[in-house]
Amino acid sequence: MTKKPKVAIYWLGACGGCDEAIVDLNEVLLQVASAVDIVLWPLAMDQKYHSIEELPDGSITLSIIHGNVRNTEHEEMARLLRAKSNLVLAFGTCACFGGTTGLANFCGKESIMQWVYRDAPTVENPKKQSPQPKTTVGGESLTLPELLDHVYSLNQVIPVDYYLPGCPPPPDLIGHAIFAVLEGKLPPRSAVLAPQKALCETCPRNNNKPPRIDITGIKRVYEVEVDSHVCFLTEGVICMGPATRGGCGETCLRINTPCRGCFGPVEGVEDAGAKFLSAFASLVKATTDEQVQVIMEKFHDPAGCLYRFTQPTSTLGKRSKVRETV
Amino acid sequence: MQPYEPKIVCFSCCFGWGYLTGRDVLSVRIKNWIPVICSGKLDSTHLLKAFKEGADGVLILGCPDGDCHFQDGNYQTRKKVHLLHKILSSYGIDPRRLRMELGTDPDGDTITKLIENLARELRQLGPIRVDGMQVETTDRADSRG
Repeated sequence: MTKKPKVAIYWLGACGGCDEAIVDLNEVLLQVASAVDIVLWPLAMDQKYHSIEELPDGSITLSIIHGNVRNTEHEEMARLLRAKSNLVLAFGTCACFGGTTGLANFCGKESIMQWVYRDAPTVENPKKQSPQPKTTVGGESLTLPELLDHVYSLNQVIPVDYYLPGCPPPPDLIGHAIFAVLEGKLPPRSAVLAPQKALCETCPRNNNKPPRIDITGIKRVYEVEVDSHVCFLTEGVICMGPATRGGCGETCLRINTPCRGCFGPVEGVEDAGAKFLSAFASLVKATTDEQVQVIMEKFHDPAGCLYRFTQPTSTLGKRSKVRETV
Repeated sequence: MQPYEPKIVCFSCCFGWGYLTGRDVLSVRIKNWIPVICSGKLDSTHLLKAFKEGADGVLILGCPDGDCHFQDGNYQTRKKVHLLHKILSSYGIDPRRLRMELGTDPDGDTITKLIENLARELRQLGPIRVDGMQVETTDRADSRG
């Protein structure tokens, strides 16, 4: 009988990129695998849910959960793993803040279903069929998880102990987080296991930033080729760096792409989008309504841009399922 | 049934609005009135939080055009308000619920009138539901891009 700490790695509403990031630990993964007993990892291993259900409560040392909570299966598994685990790590942007698919909250469930199964120009659905939670086929009843009315971040459904943002989180922070658990060197609960400051603090382009940025026109990335040492905002390209937590390794910036905000808000801030909006507005050089209008009309879909990764945890998007069921 | 009475939060600049009348006097007269040192001091977070906490409308009163005590605080907030209108719309909240007026009224007598003007419009719109669902908004195709 093994006495190694038990670890579960599970995906909810996720693309699989976070699992890929764990695999990208390469040799470090072998160290992890020899130090722990992985009891659940659907991407890599073949364990069944009932084996988790049979474990005593609190017997899993760490559950690494990525993805958001979008359907009843996600919710059920999140609650099961919470009950069986000592620590839950919200892994990746979707688990921490809802992620890109959280933008679905701007449309509402019914509208999405109608578009996907009825209205989209590529849809041919003469029988007007759409997925049902229960269907009878040949006398057998088949079930599907049902979409929830909203996309939730993990902590809106179950209590979360630690957070590791990133789309996906970088290998150095993943390794650091896992070994911190194994060695018992964790910060206080609810901490984000990433640097506290904004991305601009470590951005190499920051050194060449002028003392004052005046944005006279907003440009999209395909409209301008920004020099690799120039701050995107000076060129009018929207870069979420000022309001986004650093620690990602500046991977986007190094391939000349502005920050989109996947690391979420900096320490002490809840709504990164609102903070960025204030910061960005102060850089726009305009006084009259007309000037503001002319410049801002090139800011396409501000809500989608500012809350690209954080809609479910934004000020107006925030909802909790915890209270409804506990 | 009681007629619907919208809840309005009013942020007003101390240097343009009501500075000759005691703050204690005005705050009795005006419900949910929050004087601020400069309208530019208002962060987007404050304005969104007002809606989150149940406001049906928010009114911002700033200094007149070109006459901000801190040079351009009113212009800074004008830019925020412009973007916030689009943000609110995406959340299904009618942008008319957030209004900014530039001007000056040392006695603060017109503040209640301006609030009533907004309230009249909000009564037409009805109560707000901030739950992430589209309830009163306009063109949804926009957000599909």
